[in-house]
Amino acid sequence: MASSDRVTFRTQILNRHLRPSHSHTFSPPVSVSSSPCLSYIPPDLTEPASSFDTKEMRALLDAHNIQDRDWLFNLMIQSNLFNPKLRGHRVFVCPDYNQSMEQQREINMRRIEYLLDRGVFKGWLTDSSEESELRKVAFNERGVVHLDGACVGFSLNLLVSPCDGLKIRSSYPHSSKRQVLLDFRGGAIQFFGTKRHHDKWLKVTEDLGIKGCFSMTELGHGSNVRGIETVTTYDPHTGEFVINTPCESAQKYWIGGAAKHATHTIVFSQLKIEGKDQGVHAFIVPIRDSDGNVYPNIRIADCGHKIGLNGVDNGRIWFDNVHIPRENLLNSVADVSPDGQYLSAIKDPDQRFAAFLAPLTSGRVMIAVTAIYISKIGLAIAIRYALSRRAFSLTPNEPEVLLLDYPSHQRRLFPLLAKTYAMTFAGNHLKSVYVKRTPETNKIIHVLSSGLKATLTWHNMRTLQECREACGGQGLKTENRVGNLKAEFDVQSTFEGDNNVLMQQVSKALLGEYLAARKQSRAFKGLWLEHMNEPSPVILPQLTSSSLRSSQFQTDIFFLRERDLLNRFVAEVAAHQKQGRSKEHAFVLGHLLAEDLGRAFADKAILLTFIEAEANVSTGPLKNAAAAREEVMKLCSELRPHALALVSSFGIPGAFLSPIAFDWIEANSWPSSQQVP
Amino acid sequence: MLSKSNHVLSFAKDLHSILGKQVLVENRKFVQILTLNRPKQLNVLSSYMVSRLLELFLAYEQDPGVRLIILKGNGRAFCAGGDLASPFQRITQGDWRLGADYFWKEYNLNYVIRTYDKPQVSILNGIVMGGGAGVSVHGRFRVATENTVFAMPETASGLFPDVGASYFLSRLPGFFGEYLGLTGARLGGAEMLACGLATHFVPSVRLPLLEEELCKTFLNDAACVSQIIAKYAEKPALNKKSAYHQVDIINKCFSRGTVEEVLSSLEIEAAKKNDDWISLAIQSLKKASPTSLKITLRSIRDGRLQGIDQCLVREYRMICHVIRGDISRDIFEGVRAMLIDKDKNPKWEPSQLDLVTDSMVDGYFSRVDDKGWEDLKLPSRTNYPPSTLAKL
Repeated sequence: MASSDRVTFRTQILNRHLRPSHSHTFSPPVSVSSSPCLSYIPPDLTEPASSFDTKEMRALLDAHNIQDRDWLFNLMIQSNLFNPKLRGHRVFVCPDYNQSMEQQREINMRRIEYLLDRGVFKGWLTDSSEESELRKVAFNERGVVHLDGACVGFSLNLLVSPCDGLKIRSSYPHSSKRQVLLDFRGGAIQFFGTKRHHDKWLKVTEDLGIKGCFSMTELGHGSNVRGIETVTTYDPHTGEFVINTPCESAQKYWIGGAAKHATHTIVFSQLKIEGKDQGVHAFIVPIRDSDGNVYPNIRIADCGHKIGLNGVDNGRIWFDNVHIPRENLLNSVADVSPDGQYLSAIKDPDQRFAAFLAPLTSGRVMIAVTAIYISKIGLAIAIRYALSRRAFSLTPNEPEVLLLDYPSHQRRLFPLLAKTYAMTFAGNHLKSVYVKRTPETNKIIHVLSSGLKATLTWHNMRTLQECREACGGQGLKTENRVGNLKAEFDVQSTFEGDNNVLMQQVSKALLGEYLAARKQSRAFKGLWLEHMNEPSPVILPQLTSSSLRSSQFQTDIFFLRERDLLNRFVAEVAAHQKQGRSKEHAFVLGHLLAEDLGRAFADKAILLTFIEAEANVSTGPLKNAAAAREEVMKLCSELRPHALALVSSFGIPGAFLSPIAFDWIEANSWPSSQQVP
Repeated sequence: MLSKSNHVLSFAKDLHSILGKQVLVENRKFVQILTLNRPKQLNVLSSYMVSRLLELFLAYEQDPGVRLIILKGNGRAFCAGGDLASPFQRITQGDWRLGADYFWKEYNLNYVIRTYDKPQVSILNGIVMGGGAGVSVHGRFRVATENTVFAMPETASGLFPDVGASYFLSRLPGFFGEYLGLTGARLGGAEMLACGLATHFVPSVRLPLLEEELCKTFLNDAACVSQIIAKYAEKPALNKKSAYHQVDIINKCFSRGTVEEVLSSLEIEAAKKNDDWISLAIQSLKKASPTSLKITLRSIRDGRLQGIDQCLVREYRMICHVIRGDISRDIFEGVRAMLIDKDKNPKWEPSQLDLVTDSMVDGYFSRVDDKGWEDLKLPSRTNYPPSTLAKL
């Protein structure tokens, strides 16, 4: 910004402080007396020109594969499969909320086939380069903008996340003769299998897609994978594994794709060799023929209607002495020889289990970045609406005040907007450490993905609720999306690890590092705990505006909070252990501190990654985001002129927002009401 | 001294009267009829014509006496495009910016038409190409006839479909816009109507009556205009060979992520089935400038997610890079091969699609790094009513 512009800008801001917001300089002159009927005035015309380039800002936020993302938007907008609807002369790709669960599942399948046919999934499973992985994540994030009960986005999400229960994959109708496994979970075979599986399954899966699913969760066990009850034994005479569901609580549950479509599944099961339990292993099991008939000894039932994601056919599976070839064991960490010897390079079962499950972090990475994208949709809708909807005049005959000119409305939405920005950079950081992962970074990825998955999905729910309320009655309409997004994404706090359980994992890891550092008398290393090596930061008793806004101060208080909670958590666990309780029991009793500590860690991570991102951009738009962050701490009103540009920078095409984000008067006019059922 | 200035004066006067005839203005009560009048040049838009149209449109918007604008062409063309020869002469002679001024004005005109408050009826009784589409398709009513020939042929001459084409092509059904923009395929009036580029089809014999009735009627609003045109309009049958019958294949091929993939998927289709339009499309793509094809695809894909103002600002950046020749000089080769030597055998550089890198394509979408260069500024249009906004 030129210095003269800056002067003008500051003057305007000061002006707005001095004058009440209802008369703020950018309000269009709408006279209530002369025009009793309201007309829609697009904020794009009345808001001040953005002080930064929204395209550049978007490039920073999205960080990678921008052309690919836009291509996916193009594919969705231009296909009738995504149900384009004309509202107020604009097209919205708005789900059809009158469809039944069955219809949603059907259309969802066709959407996946469409995208598959257009080449969207090319390299999805076979190309594991960093570049390809980022592309996957990008599509995953974007796909979800069309999320609804019958939405492909969610399936895309599931496509790439090798984790818990809810998944779906696509099938390619012309290739039904070729029995190939499509691993929906985006890589369970890739991760858990070895070359023999990759060669056999991956390429055919990606290209032609037989339908696969991922059977980990059971009725009786979810987050506690080690507790699952499905049992697999080995028969050396036939060279086959035999899988059984020994009791009702062992039935596989929430298996995405299982109810209708899947032809194969990856079963997680206890492996018993000569009576000895070797822990949880994964097996490829055919469950249906290509005509959709369920194989003998397999029973499948539907999970039924859900609060969201009804386009995904979650099912339940029982196995009754199902025989599969020995080669179908996904043998990344252990194998069984033809004569029935259990072989594993990792002797310790705990370590083996940890190594086995390490790939599941990818699901949490996907969920975290998806959640933050959904928050952007909610905020873009609520803020655009608040820039055109007015309520109450402050003085008679004065124009009514724009919702977003009320400090209270700003206070509701702007902190969430600022957090969404910060969390976007945290999500980007997580993505980049994930795609560059090495065995050494597994631990940090586990901790970071756990903390951020929980924090970002909780943030998303909170943001959507606030946005729903901020849209008033219009927020109730499903066509305005925000309310439905709540239902669709609620489950994010549960799958791929319950948020509370994940936060405890974070605290355990922090505690582990604390104890290790103390025991070995070494400095803290990793998890951004190095600040523990320094003296405790001192917070001045008298806080000024400028100190509140300094990143040094902000970092200090986040460090201080984490340090304090970690010290107290360590002390509490130690105290419980001193009273003779086990370490595990001590953790359970220390849950209050553990959860707070988990949050403190995640918040710190978000702040640090954001400050780092800021430092990496020497000029240009991020400075404003930095300004946004600072200013939101104290003066939402200073953010007010940037509101539109900040949500425009999300780069979400209008078609993926909703009618209230645009001309909601026209969208609700009588003629419009005659067009739409 | 005196005689010289007299001479200059009279020359200016002559010039003015010659130029003045390039746009004929006829006032009929509430209707202004504007006729593009350079029949020998197929009514290509000279710099003067662009300025004049802009001036007239802006004036009529303020004039409560004007309720409708009819825009038509004299002769066998409505308008065959922008007058490339004159800006390119100026560009090759000196500062590329003189050429840029032409596009600055033209895009402003396109914007004013797209956001115009009053109805405009464009009578497309003949050739409509490039800039001709820019002054008509953005308007409210487009009347095609059996004589209409529409095309956006820019990629064949090293350009790209501009004049807001990334806005209107991207809003055609499916991926038909990519097909038109990349191959430069020609459409007849019936096809224009089918895909939505035209709003009505009126047989040319009925045009005089239609015009007469529009001029005589007290026109309350756009709906009233629409009703009158509908009385003369008919639903023509699509030619059996029309590519519009093949929208499924067009969608399948032209929705691909890259030009290379579009081409290879067309070749796969061609191997399955020997269809004229497919081989023609492949041929056009192979003859077109590889750089033009790549920036055109990106432009349409971006345009689908942008408003008209963003589209024009982006296209202005692109055209400035094109005429500066800072990334590829294909436009000069195109003008040579199509307009000057007329050998129709341009030698593109880069010569193949795979030689046009992503970063070269990115370059066309970036700001122009030249002192004093500015992004396109469009007139402020804050006062137009919601019905017009809807067109955005």
